[in-house]
Amino acid sequence: MPHDITPKCPFQLTFLPSSMAVWDLSITVEDLGPDASPVSLSVTSELHVGGVILKLVEKTPIQRDWSDHALWWEQKQCWLLRTSWTLEKYGIHADARLLFMPQHKPLRLGLPNGVTLRLTACFSNPVFQTVMGICTLLNIRHPEELSLLRPVEEKKKKKEKNSTEEIFDLTAVPLSSASLPSLYNGMPAHFVGSPQLEAIYKMLSVPQPPPAPELLSKQYRPASVVDKAHINGRWLDSSRCLMQQGIQENDRLWLRFKYFAFYDIEPKYDLVRLTQLYEQARWAILLEDIDCTEEEMMLFGALQYHVSKVSQSEAQTMNSAAAMDDLESALQSLEVKMEGESNSASEMLDNMTAPELHDYLKIFRPKRLTLKGYKQHWFKFQDTFISYFKNKEESIGEPIQQINLKGCEVAPDVNMAAQKFLIRLLIPAPEGMNEVYLRCENEEQYARWMAACRLASKGKSLADSSFQSEIRSIRSFLAMQNTSSSSHGNAAAADESINTLSLVSPRYHKKYKTKQLTPRILDAYQNVAQLSLVDAVSRFLQIWQALPDFGLSYVVVRFKGSRKDEVLGIAPNRLIRIDLGVGDVVKTWRYNNMKQWNVNWDIRQVAIEFEGNINIAFSCVTADCKIVHEFIGGYIFLSTRSRDKSDKLNEELFYKLTGGHDAL
Amino acid sequence: MFDGGRQLLTASRRRPARTRALSRRQECGGGGLQRELPHLGRKKQLDDTKERSGRWLASTPKGNPANGLLLLLSCVSFLKADQHFFLKDKQLLDSARSHAQQKMDDIDAMFSDLLGEMDLLTQSLGQEASPLPSSSSADNEQEVNLSVGCTDLNAASLNDLEDNDLDALMADLVADLNATEEKLAAEIQSLKEPQPEHPPPPSGDSSATSALPAPPPQSSKPSMEEIEAQMKADKIKLALEKLKEAKVKKLVVKVRMTDGSSKTLMVDERQKVREVLDNLCEKTHCDCNVDWSLRETNPELQLERTFEDHENLVELLLAWTRDSENQILFLESPDKYEVFKNPQKFYLWKKDKNVLKDMKDKDKEILIKENFCGTSVMVPDLEGVLHLKEDGKKSWKPRLFQLRASGIYYVPKGKTKSSRDLVCFVQFDNVNVYSGKDFRAKHKAPSDFCFVLKHPQIQKDSQYVKYLCCDDARTLNLWLTGIRVAKYGSHLYRNFQTAQKKAALASTWASCTLTSSQNQSQIANGHQNNIITPAPPPPLGGTLPPPPPPIGGSLPPPPPPFGGGLPPPPPPLGGTLPPPPPPLGGGLPPPPPPIGGSLPPPPPPIGGSLPPPPPPLGGGLPPLPPPAAAAPDHGSSRRPPHLPSKRLAKAVPQPRRLAATFPPPPPAAAAENNLPPPPPPPPAVDDSPPDFLPPPPPAANFGSLPPPPPNPKTLPPPPPPFKSMELPPPPPDPGLLAPPLTGAPPPPPPPPPPPQTAASATPRAPIRPCGSVKKMPPPPPKRTTPSLRGGGGGGDGEDGGGDLMSELMRAMQKKRQAH
Repeated sequence: MPHDITPKCPFQLTFLPSSMAVWDLSITVEDLGPDASPVSLSVTSELHVGGVILKLVEKTPIQRDWSDHALWWEQKQCWLLRTSWTLEKYGIHADARLLFMPQHKPLRLGLPNGVTLRLTACFSNPVFQTVMGICTLLNIRHPEELSLLRPVEEKKKKKEKNSTEEIFDLTAVPLSSASLPSLYNGMPAHFVGSPQLEAIYKMLSVPQPPPAPELLSKQYRPASVVDKAHINGRWLDSSRCLMQQGIQENDRLWLRFKYFAFYDIEPKYDLVRLTQLYEQARWAILLEDIDCTEEEMMLFGALQYHVSKVSQSEAQTMNSAAAMDDLESALQSLEVKMEGESNSASEMLDNMTAPELHDYLKIFRPKRLTLKGYKQHWFKFQDTFISYFKNKEESIGEPIQQINLKGCEVAPDVNMAAQKFLIRLLIPAPEGMNEVYLRCENEEQYARWMAACRLASKGKSLADSSFQSEIRSIRSFLAMQNTSSSSHGNAAAADESINTLSLVSPRYHKKYKTKQLTPRILDAYQNVAQLSLVDAVSRFLQIWQALPDFGLSYVVVRFKGSRKDEVLGIAPNRLIRIDLGVGDVVKTWRYNNMKQWNVNWDIRQVAIEFEGNINIAFSCVTADCKIVHEFIGGYIFLSTRSRDKSDKLNEELFYKLTGGHDAL
Repeated sequence: MFDGGRQLLTASRRRPARTRALSRRQECGGGGLQRELPHLGRKKQLDDTKERSGRWLASTPKGNPANGLLLLLSCVSFLKADQHFFLKDKQLLDSARSHAQQKMDDIDAMFSDLLGEMDLLTQSLGQEASPLPSSSSADNEQEVNLSVGCTDLNAASLNDLEDNDLDALMADLVADLNATEEKLAAEIQSLKEPQPEHPPPPSGDSSATSALPAPPPQSSKPSMEEIEAQMKADKIKLALEKLKEAKVKKLVVKVRMTDGSSKTLMVDERQKVREVLDNLCEKTHCDCNVDWSLRETNPELQLERTFEDHENLVELLLAWTRDSENQILFLESPDKYEVFKNPQKFYLWKKDKNVLKDMKDKDKEILIKENFCGTSVMVPDLEGVLHLKEDGKKSWKPRLFQLRASGIYYVPKGKTKSSRDLVCFVQFDNVNVYSGKDFRAKHKAPSDFCFVLKHPQIQKDSQYVKYLCCDDARTLNLWLTGIRVAKYGSHLYRNFQTAQKKAALASTWASCTLTSSQNQSQIANGHQNNIITPAPPPPLGGTLPPPPPPIGGSLPPPPPPFGGGLPPPPPPLGGTLPPPPPPLGGGLPPPPPPIGGSLPPPPPPIGGSLPPPPPPLGGGLPPLPPPAAAAPDHGSSRRPPHLPSKRLAKAVPQPRRLAATFPPPPPAAAAENNLPPPPPPPPAVDDSPPDFLPPPPPAANFGSLPPPPPNPKTLPPPPPPFKSMELPPPPPDPGLLAPPLTGAPPPPPPPPPPPQTAASATPRAPIRPCGSVKKMPPPPPKRTTPSLRGGGGGGDGEDGGGDLMSELMRAMQKKRQAH
């Protein structure tokens, strides 16, 4: 192949020590295009890699910045990154197929929120470092908790759709080596300036709207623990580079949180991290990757609803006044507010005189076995009390009854179509709970009284600042029910509201109709309606983390001496053994009892020794044992993080704990 | 504005009918009479009230004395309120007579209405009542060991008092009235010759003082209007503040000790169980280990629950019914924080028990960290068969239950354990978990290891109470704790950490903790006092700060010295407290010699008029440090005024025979002599006190408290700062004072581990007078001693208190060596 260079040989020879044998090395330069023939250099074995590159660049007709380029040795699947090493040291002979190409290449990255991003990633460093680079770019702290995995292949049918999928391009942004970019206007500096980039940052840091229910039901959902185990066979090896793992330029990879030990989450800095974590958790719940009860699902649904609502409204306000996150201005405005408040005593008075509600409502007590139906009375809502009178005129005197709503349970019973607006109150009394229904005439009235009841049940009076927002949220929920139960033709309105079906896993689509689902979610919603965006996201994550199955990554394994497959669950603090037949946890081992673990790379077996002479060994079925090894080592690595000095990652330790035999 | 005020009034007027009637009367009194012939009108009204109260008394059925008492109380407060108006009138005259007062009057009327209202409200505060059997069925009255007094609830449950008591009380009241009248007369006199230059002499009466600050007459010269506006604003603010204060609910709570005795203490709405525990620990001198807890028992349902430290005690107690037999126990409950001491028992419960026993501390720490220090608290994964008593039925059925963070679930028949099939049994938002006692007998439960989930307000058996039964004690404990973890989450761990800190502090720096925590408690007390006080001093706080500096000469004690004396609190503190006793106590061995020296000035004259409190002090001083240790510095300064008031509130129901005997302030000695045998020494606020009397008769409070003008004059220029500190009985509002004060105390005394008092105290105990006084006396010994040590033991106190002193010293030295 390297014939074209021969004429130059004699010339070069004169410069080389006579003892050295000169031979031809052919190198493919990627930048010349796929069809270009390789460039041939005549070299000696003493020549170091840097020298080879220098020669190569001189011979290549293109002028450009070559600083990111390096040689990739195809047969050995490795980069020749040590430029001072000689060809001999690398063991390169004339038959070596070398590729000269940039170390950083674009990659299509699927984020936890489902969006695909195109960005430049490092193909030559271990994946661990590649992830660090990506996280720096995306402004995610603690990159050690994330990793890359190969996506689940999509069915061929959807190919057309794929092409239309929107891809956010970040390749223009240079990867900086700095640990974390400084924030400017609440955004990392490299996002500032271009509206496109700012839009991308918003996409990263604001939760996505709920998916359409149809899309949800089409997605793959694992049906068993074994199904769930399969995804874990896809993780890339952290101690090897992308090229080594067969990832090519523009390939698709997923970025996911791999280790479920989230360290030091600080909403101030972790906007993207929190958002992506929330998205991953949300999808895990929607797709039943993690099981939860119906009640929990309703709460998750309510939180999702709240998050999407708040993030929409916040996005709007952010556009209008971006400077408000400036701490100082916020403080200032607070000051002004306080001054204003304390200024006039009469204002104080106003504040202290609690507002009241008055209206004619109908009351019904189901417990009393009377045939009387709803009876109309003049109602007064004050503080946390409801009192009612025979009519408005008598409202100055003693009420017929006064009910303290503090600590009571409030449930809605609304049917928009039937114009039924019922508030069901379950009021605690020493003898038990008293049931009282209040029937309102219309939406407006209902929203006000319902909001008041809810606040009162939490011991807050109408004067509480959340009263108005409570009313609003009740109204919006009513509107939701209205649109979803009435005509589908009203597209504009439907856009605004959120379909409750998209807030719960498809299992419930069959179980409940929207009409039934909405009140249940609304019910759960009343406990979270006051949360801010960050709080709601955090709450979601908290509940997610409190699920019994949280943090478990499953791998199908076969224990030594056992004849059937079992499932190994790897959690942040323990390993569990699940019997597939029963579906039960049969054994738990905690890491802090672990004395050592070994991998026999030849027979691909993991052996672990625990205190008390407990030894277990297993081979892995659905994932490489390297992946299991890395999970265990990774969790142990994560547990070594300490608060005092956490800025710098101890990469070496990570490789030591997670690397295979070749890494050591 | 006016309207606003009215509205407020109406808003807060939710209370028993009879009280309301009174308050209406008062409203007219406050608002309407103000204009013409205010004094005469007042006087008439006074007489009127007197008469009426007499009639009330007479007409009160014997079986139901509580109501009568209540009324009396109201009358008293009414009087006080009047007095107050009176002063206010005076000011008005003084400062702004020439002005068109239309507006002013409105505001004033509103203000005074508010004040009156406040008084009434606070008046109705809980009175201690012991659970006497004779549950008279009077609708308005309750005999509960817990009594509630606050805006919303109708007031007090009172002890059944004997007729004698009533008589005594009546006599007392008459005395009060007389005194008030006299005072009124005197004041009218002074009014007749208005001397703008000399503001109303700083009277000791707290109500009087309340009026003091606002009006600086001289300063009115610059621009009347501005000042008036300012005054108006101030007043409104004051009223609002008062309103807020008065809105604070308070309960007098009786807590049973493990030894069967009980203590009574006042708990205000804002207090968490933790604070109450701290108070109790001080009072009982127990080691403050983390296990001490308050437990609620419900005999009706045979339930028990240990309160969590972060819970609000008043709120919890308000759920009890009026005639509840529920009790609160103060006891060590090892289960309370077992989950943090041995987390493995709960988080690794499936493991072999032997392995768990010798769990390494390090591993325990890891467990705690894993489960409590993460982003979300992990709930032990409990799962097992429990027996459930079906709603309203008698049978118990086994079900497979599972505990999750979101609630308790069970596996329906024929379904798997998979999460999605679980059926929710209960969520924890609205229920508490209780352990049941002796359910085998009561409910035919399969075992006695039962627990119950119910809304805290449910007090009787109902279908809404959920009964569950475990197989053994261990399982029960697992579930009880697991549910608590699920319900309270990170609160629990924080509580534990706080409790641990307290315990650690207590064990190493016993004295330190005492002081600091007591300071807190004291502040709390201060508040209460205010509130309870019929004629509340709080307004002071509001206005005092910007007190008129010019007055200087005539306005002697309070402000300036205060500022001066306060900042350098530590040393003075020790010193300050003791002062009162020496002069008064006379023969008493006043421990604080040095101070005694500097103090002399204030003695006799003041002693007479002002200080009911001091005398007891002298007496009580040496012995006990109980709650009082708190009383530290500020205590001294602001105590006097409150003391009486507090006593009033508390003691009112109890007879004031003593008072009757010597309406004016009893000379110290007399007080001591007359004092009935003091109760068991240490108990801070024993509830037993019904028999013995607060030495300083409340009468003093009303009639003679306002130290007559001469006082200041007599006073030599305030010698040392502290002297002045304690002099001004009508000090600023505690509320305001409190913050700075609190800041001060903690730093001061190093570790003067006070003589454990036991030795020294006992002999003297007998002298110790009564509940209210208790608060005061103790501190001095503690504080003083250290300072003594440093400052040289010499002093007048030496002779009298020689043995005491030396005892203290010895004890201290021992302590130090021990350290």
